[in-house]
Formats: sequence, structure tokens, C-alpha cells
Amino acid sequence: MNIQNVNHLVHAYKVAPWRIQRQWIGAALLAVVALVMVATLYLDVTSQAAIAGREIQVLTAQIAEGQRISADLQTQLASLTSASVMEQRALDLGFRPMKSSDAEYLVVPGYYEPKPEILSSASRPQLSALTIPPEYNESLLDWVDEKIATSSRGRK
Amino acid sequence: MRQQYARRTQLVMVLISLISLGIIVQMVRIQTSPAAAILKQRGDEFQTEWRTFFPDRGEIYDRTGHLLAGNKSAYEIGVNLNIVQDPEAILAAAASVDLDLDYAEALDAIQNPPENRTFVVIADYVDQEKGLKLQALKDADDGRFGDLTGLEFNLHPMRSYPEKDLASNIIGFVSHGRRGYFGIEEKYDILLAGAPVQMLVPVDPNLASDIEHVPDGTTLILTINRDLQAAAEDILDESLDKYGAQNGTIAIMDPQNGELLAIASHERMDLNEFWNYGSIYDNASDYSRAISTPYEPGSVLKILTMAAALDSGTVTPGTTYLDTGSIMVGGAVIRNWDQGAWGVQDMTGCLQHSLNVCMATLSTSMGAGTFYNYMDKFGLGHLTGVDLAGEAAGRLKFPGDTDWYLVDLGTNSFGQGVAATPIQIMMAASAIANDGRTVTPHAVYAMVRDGRQYNVPAQFAGSPISEQTADTLSEMLAVSVSSEGSLAQVPGYRLAGKTGTAQIPVNGFYDDEATNASFIGWGPVDDPKFMIYVWLERPEVSTWGSETAAPVFAEMAEKTIILLDIPPDNIRQQFAVK
Repeated sequence: MNIQNVNHLVHAYKVAPWRIQRQWIGAALLAVVALVMVATLYLDVTSQAAIAGREIQVLTAQIAEGQRISADLQTQLASLTSASVMEQRALDLGFRPMKSSDAEYLVVPGYYEPKPEILSSASRPQLSALTIPPEYNESLLDWVDEKIATSSRGRK
Repeated sequence: MRQQYARRTQLVMVLISLISLGIIVQMVRIQTSPAAAILKQRGDEFQTEWRTFFPDRGEIYDRTGHLLAGNKSAYEIGVNLNIVQDPEAILAAAASVDLDLDYAEALDAIQNPPENRTFVVIADYVDQEKGLKLQALKDADDGRFGDLTGLEFNLHPMRSYPEKDLASNIIGFVSHGRRGYFGIEEKYDILLAGAPVQMLVPVDPNLASDIEHVPDGTTLILTINRDLQAAAEDILDESLDKYGAQNGTIAIMDPQNGELLAIASHERMDLNEFWNYGSIYDNASDYSRAISTPYEPGSVLKILTMAAALDSGTVTPGTTYLDTGSIMVGGAVIRNWDQGAWGVQDMTGCLQHSLNVCMATLSTSMGAGTFYNYMDKFGLGHLTGVDLAGEAAGRLKFPGDTDWYLVDLGTNSFGQGVAATPIQIMMAASAIANDGRTVTPHAVYAMVRDGRQYNVPAQFAGSPISEQTADTLSEMLAVSVSSEGSLAQVPGYRLAGKTGTAQIPVNGFYDDEATNASFIGWGPVDDPKFMIYVWLERPEVSTWGSETAAPVFAEMAEKTIILLDIPPDNIRQQFAVK
């Protein structure tokens, strides 16, 4: 490109300043589009986090409800099989209390007297603490900050 | 023209820039103003709230896995004062499901609430059936009672006892204030209740955060056998009717490890209606008499005197003495129960015939120092450490106490002038059944928390006598039970035991007509699996323990043998050979 060509271009811009303005407008629009994209992304992540948070609240309430119903049913079952109820049912069915003379004892090889062991109902697994992944409670800026920190740690 | 256009454009741009700058400046000013800080603080306050999470109270099971105490849901029913329209309609609807309300009081609470109150509770701990009925009335919204707007429901847990009054004297109860009273519920209240957790909970779902795990209270597995407990309570109730006794107790323990298998009291209460406590019991000590009510046990204590005499070398089983029917101790004459003289007796005969003169002879021969040292080692006058609330220590006077007299050395030897609870005597006697070692009675077999089970080990409280003494005395007591005429026998099983008939002190003097009838026994003698204590208060049919408490022991022992699957002695010996 020689000097003549450069002068020609400069002259062309001087006679058409709207080109420079268009460049500025283009740059500004680009910035606006970038901002809108970032805002959209941020809004999306935030709304997803909010939905997940709400789901967690609902699930927690459902777990509590389930445990409550389970406890109710367990107590109800215990009432239906209480000693007095079972005794009455046995009598109604024609059974009678056993006497020691009624018992017959047999040797059963390998049999051991039962001992109280862990009760399955009493040792039901407890609900472990909920562990929410960081994606659900960190903001976009937190995420960027974390990434920068991670990469800087990686370089060190 | 073009220049003019450019100038206008520049002017507009400057204006826009100025306006933008103004907006930015204003934004910064607002953001950094004191008002903004207050606004932000208020916003933060509404984003989260402090909540207290109460863990579910731990359950209580018997040793075979039957639920004795659990939790169920109950309704708190109230009125939201911000939106209530027709309080009278709400109370009418509540009355229709038998909420047991004081109408005037409830209406006054709604219409004239304390300042700043927005919610008034009209009924709490309402069972689910009634709560659901009332909720259905509200949901139907058919205007039958009027406008029920503002009627609100809140479900929460409450204690439930499916077995009602069974083992009530062991379990205890929990009040609406979440506090345990009596028995296991009081003794293990902190463990069962768990630790409430207060935490900041986000109300804004965008602020999802970890909800801290609130562990349930510890679940307890008792050593109690539900079926044996039910049998003991049935036998006790029948015995009180049969012998005309005012009250009574039957306690069953494994003498080898101290596990309490059953403790029956005559006065029991439906634990689901704990508010009736005051109308059932006059004193707190009546709740579980086996651990809370010391009494003069009488002749059952003779086994301890004989143990001390044998262990100290004062006598051997074959030692004889001449029973003249009376002995003078500390200026007072002590006589036998029948006022008679039994002639020459050895120590087995002494126990078999329950001779007071013999026991006073032994205690005076040992001397106060030796005798009381043994009684102290047996645990008389001390708490046993049983894991049930409300234990009483009883009283054993020692030489040097202001109210101890020399005659006490004689009377204490046969269980008068000394106060002990049934559980204390069982603990002391466990040394005889358990090769000389006393066991600490306990009612909790295991604790379960977060899926892990901790088994409570047997605890031995001491060795007041030697193994040889224990074995010798067990044999002597087995001879007593197997003697002709003893109503404590169970066919096929060799049991050891001793009756007791004690006079009752009333206002400083002994009642001439009423007695406390007792029996302590265990078996099978060669490998004791159970120890049973029977106490009948003021039986009318007969004042003698041998005629009242002894047959009750036999009946209870037979039932225990069945429920614990203990084969007769000859079968067990065959098993042992094979």
C-alpha cells in the first residue's frame, strides 16, 4: 500500500464521517448485546437456582411429612398389636394360657437362644444432611471469582 | 446543513450523556445513603428467619421389639386474628367435633386478644380424628356454621403409649411441656429428647442453603419383656383380690446381669392421659413402689444375715444352737414369729423355720461391726443406681447414729427396724444367686442413635461374700423352698427363696393386725435365670408371707419359666450331657 492509497482512504473518511459514527454505534451495540447475553445467562442461572431451592424446600417438607406419617402408622400398628389386644384376640380364637406342664422340649442342633439385637425399626437410617452443590447457591460473580482463584492457584 | 445536523446530534448526545451521568450519580448516592443501608437490612431480615427445630423424641421398645412409647401427630387449632370473620361460627364448628372448649373463654380470647397477637390457640394436642373432621368442615365451606375463615391447623408430634397402662410405672410419661416425668422418660429425658437446633433458615428460595441435620432423640431398648410384664401385672392384680391386700409389687430381674425383666405395680395409669396422675397417686413415691417406697421387709432380710454369718465364719450350715424361744438383746426380749421354742436347730432349719431368735443370735455373735459392715456391703441404705427416676435409699441405722440402740442389732437381723426397697433387697440377694457378686439393676438394654446401637453392659457393684458362701446359702435356701408344705415350689424346678412377714410401724408402734408379706426367690438354683420379689401390703386373708406371697411367687415363677423358655431341671441336665 503506497502513500497515495492511504491518502485516498483518509480523504474518503473525511468526506463520509458517518462511517466513523457507524463504527461507534456498532461497538456500542456490541457492548449492549454482550451485556444482554451476560444478563440473560445470569438470570437463567439465578432462576434455576431459585427453582432448585424451592424444590429443596418442598422435598424437605415431604420428607418431614413422610416421617410423620411413618411414626403415626408405627404407633397405630403398635396399638393394634398391644399385649392386651393380642391376648384378647388369642382368647377369642380359642387359645388358652399355657402351663409349664404343657411344654415339651427338644434338642435342636445349632440352635442358640435368641438375644435382643438391633431392632430394624429402631435403627432405620437417619436422614443425612442435605449437601447442596455450589452451583445452586453461588452467583455468577462468585463462579467467576472461584474460576479465577482456581486458575491462579493452578499457575502457582 | 450537514454541520447544523452534526451540531444538533452532538447536543443531543451531550444531553443524553448528562442525563445518564445524573442517573448514575443518583444511583450511587441512593446506594450509599444511610436509608439504603436500613432498607438493605430490612430486606435481609425478611430473607431469612430463625427457627428452632425440635428433634423427634426417641422411641422406647421392650427387649422383644414391641413399641412402648412412640410419637404421633396431633393438631394445634387456632384462629388467625388478621383474617377471622366469624369467631362464633368457628367455635360452633369446634364444638361440633367435641373439642372440649370453654366457649366463653375461647370467644373472649379471640375477641379481646393481648396486644400484638395475631394468632390465638383455641385447642392443642387434638387427636387426628377430630382435627381432620374440623378441617373437613372448613374445606367443605358450606356455610353450615357460618364463615370459618381464619380457622387454622398446625400438625406437631406428641408422645403416644400404645400399651396404655402396661409398664406405666417403668416408662413414666412426657407432659405437654416436652418434659419427662418418672421412670425411663425422666431418667433419660435429655437423651430421649435430643438437642433442639436453632438455625437461620432462608425464606427466599433463591437463598437455598444447607439445612442442618437435626438428629432424632436416642431410641431406648429396655430389658423389660412385654409379655412377662403383662403377666406380672395380671398375677399381681389377681393376687390382691385373692388375698385382700391393699397394694403390691412384683419385680423380676436376671440375677446374673441385673436386667430388670418386669416390675409390676398395682396402681397404674394410662400414660396417654397423664393428666390423671394426681387423681391416681397420693405421693410421687407411690408411682413405682419397687424402687421408691422403702419398707421394713422382715424375714426376707434373714438371707443377708445368714450370708454374713457364713461368710465371716461365725457359723457353718451344720452349726447347731438351742432355740429357747427368746433372746435378750439391748434390754429387749426378741421372740420367734410363733412365740415358740424350736429346740436344737442347724442353720438350714433356722432359715427354713424363719427363726428370729436364731438370727438375733447370729448378729450378736458377729458383733455390730461385722454385721453392719456386711449390711453396708450388701447396699442397704444406699441407692442401687437403677436407671429409673425416683429411687429411694431406705435407711439402715449404724452404731453411733443418734437413733441406733443395741436392740437394733437384734431386730435388724430379721428385717425389722431397717427400711429397704424391693429393688435394694434384690440387688443384695443377687450376690447369693450370682456367685458372690452383686449386680446393679438396670432397665435399659441398649441405646440406638443414628443407626448405631450401644448395648449397656452388666455392672457389678461389689462382692460382699465369697462364691463358696453364695453357693452354700443357695443350697440352704433351696432346701427351704423344697421342704414339704412350701407353697413356693414349682414342679420340675429347683428354686431358692425366703418368705418374709413384717410388722408395719404406725406412729412409732407396730400395728398388731396388719403385716407386709414378702417373698424373694430365684431359679433354677444351678443357673439362675430369674429372681422374683413379691410384696403384698396388708393382706387380709392371711398375715403370713408363706401363705400369701409364697404362692404368688410360685405362680409368677411358673409364668416366667414359660415365657423365658426355661426347661425343667432334668431336661436341662439332659441337654448339658448331650
